[in-house]
Amino acid sequence: MVVTFQLNGEDCRFDGDPMTPLVDILRQERFLTGTKAVCREGFCGACTVHVDDEAVPSCLKPVGLVQGCAVTTIEGLSSGNQVLHPLQANFEAADAVQCGMCFPGMVMSLSAFVRDNPHASRPEIKAAMVGNICRCTGYERIVDAVADCLDQARKAGQLVGGIHV
Amino acid sequence: MSELAATVMNLPRRDAQDKLRGRTKYTNDRTRPDMLHAVLLRSTVPAGRIRKLDVSAALRCPGVRAVATGADAPGLYGIGIADHPLLAIDTIRYHGEPIAVIAAETEKQARAALAAIVLEVEPLAPVFTMAEALQPAARLVHEGWRGYEVITEGGARSGNIAWEAKSSRGDVDAAFARPDIRIVESSFTVGRQSHVPFEPRVAIGSWEDGRAHIQTSTQVPWTVRNVTGRVMQLPPGRVRVTVPPVGGGFGLKFDASIEPITALLARMTGRTVVLENTRQEEMATCLCRENAEIRIRSAVTAEGYIAGREAVVLMDCGAYGGEQVFLTTMTAHTLGGNYRVGATRLVSRAVYTNTPPNGAFRACNGVYNTFALERHTDEICEALGFDPMAFRKKNVLGDGDLGATGQVFEADVLGPMLDRMETLRASTGTSQAKADGRLYGIATTVGTWFVFVGPSAATVNLNADGSATLVTSGVEIGSGTMVQSLPQIVAGQLGLAPDQVIVREADTDAAGLDVGVGGGRTTVSIGAASVAACAEVREKLLRTAGEMLQTRQEDLVLREGRVEITGRPGSGMSIPAIVAHAQATTGPITGSGAFTARNAPAMSGCAMGHFIDALDIPVFVVHEAEVAVDADTGHVEVLAYRVVQDVGRALNPRAILGQIQGGVVQGLGYALHEEVTITADGRIAQDDFETYRLPLAQDVVAVAADLYEGAPSMGPLGTKGAGEVPILAVGAAIGCAVARAIGKPVRQLPLTPPRVLRLLHEREPPPDFPHIAPGWASNTLG
Repeated sequence: MVVTFQLNGEDCRFDGDPMTPLVDILRQERFLTGTKAVCREGFCGACTVHVDDEAVPSCLKPVGLVQGCAVTTIEGLSSGNQVLHPLQANFEAADAVQCGMCFPGMVMSLSAFVRDNPHASRPEIKAAMVGNICRCTGYERIVDAVADCLDQARKAGQLVGGIHV
Repeated sequence: MSELAATVMNLPRRDAQDKLRGRTKYTNDRTRPDMLHAVLLRSTVPAGRIRKLDVSAALRCPGVRAVATGADAPGLYGIGIADHPLLAIDTIRYHGEPIAVIAAETEKQARAALAAIVLEVEPLAPVFTMAEALQPAARLVHEGWRGYEVITEGGARSGNIAWEAKSSRGDVDAAFARPDIRIVESSFTVGRQSHVPFEPRVAIGSWEDGRAHIQTSTQVPWTVRNVTGRVMQLPPGRVRVTVPPVGGGFGLKFDASIEPITALLARMTGRTVVLENTRQEEMATCLCRENAEIRIRSAVTAEGYIAGREAVVLMDCGAYGGEQVFLTTMTAHTLGGNYRVGATRLVSRAVYTNTPPNGAFRACNGVYNTFALERHTDEICEALGFDPMAFRKKNVLGDGDLGATGQVFEADVLGPMLDRMETLRASTGTSQAKADGRLYGIATTVGTWFVFVGPSAATVNLNADGSATLVTSGVEIGSGTMVQSLPQIVAGQLGLAPDQVIVREADTDAAGLDVGVGGGRTTVSIGAASVAACAEVREKLLRTAGEMLQTRQEDLVLREGRVEITGRPGSGMSIPAIVAHAQATTGPITGSGAFTARNAPAMSGCAMGHFIDALDIPVFVVHEAEVAVDADTGHVEVLAYRVVQDVGRALNPRAILGQIQGGVVQGLGYALHEEVTITADGRIAQDDFETYRLPLAQDVVAVAADLYEGAPSMGPLGTKGAGEVPILAVGAAIGCAVARAIGKPVRQLPLTPPRVLRLLHEREPPPDFPHIAPGWASNTLG
């Protein structure tokens, strides 16, 4: 079966089993290895991508279900030499990254969250991170950076993540 | 500007942006379409004898290019004792043990061909627990244990006891016979902890010009090189190991495991072969922090003097000795640490069982021995009516005190750190109000750990553009040493900016021997080797500059990319000009440096079977936890957590604070909800993210931390390792705080809600170790 969808703004065509997890197509066929396949069961969030602007774990998304959808991966969030998404910039500035493997998924999950919840409190940010596991950092710096990011956006009178591909 | 002032800074990570953009290529991002995929046939029984293994049909399956079995790699490897085959040979010792491996064009083809392997196994009665393994008539997990090559001499061994280490100082019998003492005895048991690095163990092997090249996610490139040589019976020099950025290690990748298999298959096929554990395989065969059983007795006077102490520590090494053989050493320094003790004797035994092998995990051995020692200390205080804080202040190790092996500790460190904890608490306040009707407990605990010093080598090349290239066998596992402390150290030595220091990732063909990234050693050992390499570079640079400037070398300084005449900023000349001159006259400017342990002395006859008799660089921590326990559900909430950590010298305080937050949270998981159990058929029951409960954002609190500087260290600029130790005393602090909250003795981790409820209702049986004899000496091999 042929599935067509938009991948980071370009047409993408997949001819094969529509039950193939989206993450396998991203990593093995398109070499978009920023999307990490860690638990492959929807618990860790490392494979999170945007499908029509919603954050979803790509390990649980059969490619057949993205027919006609727009898929954005971490590579599409700020491609080439584009400036970092404000969340990425805040994570970098806060020295939040360690091994780094959870961060592409963390950025994809939280970029959708901050866009939709510009007034989120710290407990709400933590609740939003329930589907993103980090084994290195102990989370608090990530939470701080998200809170800082929302603060900065409010002060500047903008929504975070106004950048869209 | 002093060398120290030029080195200390909150340097950001140079790898952060690529990691955040998803551009970093970890080993498991490097699979290419032209590679072969390998999959393992793993045992589905915990113990057995291989009666038939026929792979001929599998070889004929579509896409299959090679099949290998134990016969193709007959050499054995191990730490201390060579007891471990790459693929099972004749005997199966654990559920999940690799028996054969298939390389095919696709993973799907390789997996399909597994069914064509003919395997007949005669099951054997498995030995699952240390209690069973230590029975006099127990079946031997390794029948041929006597025949194994002993790589390190000195440990006592017998049957299912893979290794035994003892320490003994002073007359313990006399101390326990004193009329003025009370004896307090405690028993503790702890389960395993799974590392769960986000990148599983993975390797890509190729065969190039008659040599193996393995790219892999490891903390120990030289171990992978040497083990590959051993099992393939090649000179290790015919193996090259390179290491891309590593997606988390935590000690799991401090030993070789599947990597040599890729080299074997590459030699057989002439192709590049990738082998990656699935998440299920990774967790089912995780080289976990070992489960352990501890019995400790102390003889304490009414004044609070610890006259005598003895302990037996049993460590489950699983089916193969591995890291536990080495880690028996650590009991003398962890359970034997923290306190001044009159006479002491400790025995630590690594015990074989038919369970998946255990391994190293951040502050290995120390985490549970610190839990046991600190809970035991609280039980002493309760039995004799001492205030726990006052007792600790009176008894913690100080200047001139003796450790369990007779090493003499230098300087008062733990005492002042306890004072600093009180200052920290005064500044943060306490969180009792947040308990909101639940049972509240607070506990302050101490811990003793070390830096695993040992061989490291470094080369520094000074380039004509003014940059310097640092070549070592260091690996960036996430802790930041390769992207923060090492470039800071080299820049500080050479008067450069850290971004002018290029740091080469590990390649055993390019850099000298290194013990690996672990044991808090990278900043110290590779850092010290780098300082030595920089000294040679400086000498050559200043000599050349002295000639060019007609100035004596001792009147020259390196500052901001220039060689200047002392006291005359802006004088002299730029480094590129001097390097260019040197290249044309005496040759390129390079320096090499080396470092190793100084082997601090122990007291003669005190340490037996030890890999390390005394700690070259002790590291101390003080941890304090506040908890609230819900008496209806047994749920423990951590209300606040405070750390005072002995860092020697903080080169990058912000990065250290990040390590402390992450390490404490891993410890909270260990203390509260990360549980590994063994099923009736010998499997690790928790082999996915649903069954193994990792800490989530909502489980954690922000750790308040104070970095204690100035304790003696042989590390460069007085540094100590800071990334390993933050997990050390978390089980202790949580265990003591929960015990105080519920008013019941805590003798087991993790403190899951069901266990806490059982403790509250006195339905949790205390640990009982019939396999630990009442007399200490009966628990030793003589």
